[in-house]
Amino acid sequence: MSFITAYCSLTEDVCSVNGTAIIGRDHASADSWFKQIYKQQELAYPKFYKMDMLSQAGFLASELIKRAIPTLTAAYNDDEIALVFANRSSSAETDQRFINSYEHNGAPSPSLFVYTLPNIVLGEIAILNKWYGENMFAVLPKFAPDFYLDYLQILHAAGSKAILCGWLEVTQTQTEVLLFMVEEKGTGIMECSKQNLAELWHASFPAAK
Amino acid sequence: MIYIGSEVMVSPLGMTAEENWNSLLANRSGIAPADRAGFAGEQVWLSKIPSITGSRRFEKLVMQAMTQIEKGIDRSILSSSRTIVLLSSTKGELEDDINDPFGSIAGVLVRQFKLANQPLIISNACISGVLAINTAGGFIDAGIYDHAIVIGCDVVSDFVVYGFQSLFAISNKPCAPFDAGRNGISMGEGCGAMVVSSDRAVFKNNPLELLTGTSANDANHISGPSRTGEGLFRSVSRTLTRHGVMPGDIDFICAHGTGTVFNDEMEAIAFDRLALSRVPLNSMKGYFGHTLGAAGLIETATSMQMMRHGVLLKSQGFMNTGTSIPLNVITANEDKKLNTILKTASGFGGGNASLMIRKI
Amino acid sequence: MGSLKEDLKRQIIEQLNLEEVSVEDIADDALLFNDEGLGLDSIDALELIVLLEKYHGIQLTNPEEGKEAFRSIDTMAEYIRKRKAD
Repeated sequence: MSFITAYCSLTEDVCSVNGTAIIGRDHASADSWFKQIYKQQELAYPKFYKMDMLSQAGFLASELIKRAIPTLTAAYNDDEIALVFANRSSSAETDQRFINSYEHNGAPSPSLFVYTLPNIVLGEIAILNKWYGENMFAVLPKFAPDFYLDYLQILHAAGSKAILCGWLEVTQTQTEVLLFMVEEKGTGIMECSKQNLAELWHASFPAAK
Repeated sequence: MIYIGSEVMVSPLGMTAEENWNSLLANRSGIAPADRAGFAGEQVWLSKIPSITGSRRFEKLVMQAMTQIEKGIDRSILSSSRTIVLLSSTKGELEDDINDPFGSIAGVLVRQFKLANQPLIISNACISGVLAINTAGGFIDAGIYDHAIVIGCDVVSDFVVYGFQSLFAISNKPCAPFDAGRNGISMGEGCGAMVVSSDRAVFKNNPLELLTGTSANDANHISGPSRTGEGLFRSVSRTLTRHGVMPGDIDFICAHGTGTVFNDEMEAIAFDRLALSRVPLNSMKGYFGHTLGAAGLIETATSMQMMRHGVLLKSQGFMNTGTSIPLNVITANEDKKLNTILKTASGFGGGNASLMIRKI
Repeated sequence: MGSLKEDLKRQIIEQLNLEEVSVEDIADDALLFNDEGLGLDSIDALELIVLLEKYHGIQLTNPEEGKEAFRSIDTMAEYIRKRKAD
């Protein structure tokens, strides 16, 4: 049996860890919403500023989950921690910005181009933590508990022990970010079941379809 | 046992696996100069399929491959609830719908082939294809599905050409993987597909055995290959160990071999660390270009054809050793019985993936 | 010719999205690719090539050429003056 041992959600206005809001968006601030979280949580990783929104969201939520599970990194080998993320619109937001760079801003931008793949956020998290485990990024029409549960089975069979799962849909009009850590050790917050995942989703994004 | 077969390839070298095989055996390449394809209007070497034109080129390619898949298997599995379709792609239908590049294709597949399950789209840069085949193996191994149809597809677009140009990663001649004079990639497009199943009877032709592999991140850089080949080393090590296969059991390696200086060097270092540097090896990118999300499927399908025909295909574009550790790059076609082969892939985001296929 | 260096610093901050850095933070002789300096990486180097073309009309066809030119603000300014004088 596996358990969700921590989770973090980001909506348009609220960042929560394990269901408790830790920071709300200041709409009067000149900083972007993700930058507000970065500063307020006193995270120190200058590369954050170079990341696209998908990677920023993944970075923030994964750091906050690590804080909520202080024993995580010591408990596993560097290749036992796997990452399974998904979203609906791939890297469309950054794709647009890259197209804009060569259609309206003179030349294709290399630093935008390298973020025009949805799995780059997995690379950013792996690099920061020196995690050499399995990675997967899928594009799904909507958050689907079955996808995570099925792929967790595959990863467990292949030797992964702690699996950071995530839904990362970040566009101009939408912020749906939910990351959750799944471990077999301990009792966690809740069992990683289809029903619990569905409930977690609805609690985080009550207005979402 | 997990079976793999009914492989399909659609590329400039042919619209079927057989046509592709005949072109490959004649060492023909799909890479040709494309006028004014570059950002500054310059000529760029590309592997493009001229017969697929107009809008929805991605969808046309996928349909072309699926129609052939249908012919190679027991059709009834298509609409079975025990079957999943896995689609590997980096940019999908970007050219048709920038905001929703994967929104249409899944629905089209469901309607056209009366699929019982929503296709799963896998987008992990250049390792997508190998990862998709491994996912198919994983699904079947875990008993979640009995059959998987795995498709890999990407088309050449201004977007990817300009992007790789901005990284100075495009070769000024047809790409030359592992060669001393290599200076970058040639972009390519195409579609590869195959069927993975727990049931041998679904295949009209003899299937092979899939030894499902693993992936590993380099944890090094989002767009630069690791200098030590750590991720590739770990992925292949785990894949070998998982199936109790020794390096000496591998008859052939279908490498990633993009033709950039750093990627090919990284692979040479990893294969040396794995005691695999003497195994006959090629890169298919000299034939197909770098087909991104399709590469893992097209190149695995080619490897399967090599096993069926008992031929080691020359690594197109290679002349002189160009890595700090020499590899056994195949310089001419050669007849050889191939029992166990290794396919690897490495890509942006630090991903590395590998799998093995064995003759039954 | 101090203003070319000031312009370069502003352009670098904009082109590379260096949100936490201001013009005053960049010394003329600080090593741009050193962690003690700006800590730029290989992708930033390519972005500097875009910058040279966009703001200064200078084309670099080989990224290797940039290695020496992009050592510091001083060397970049020197490189631009030389290329423009050619």
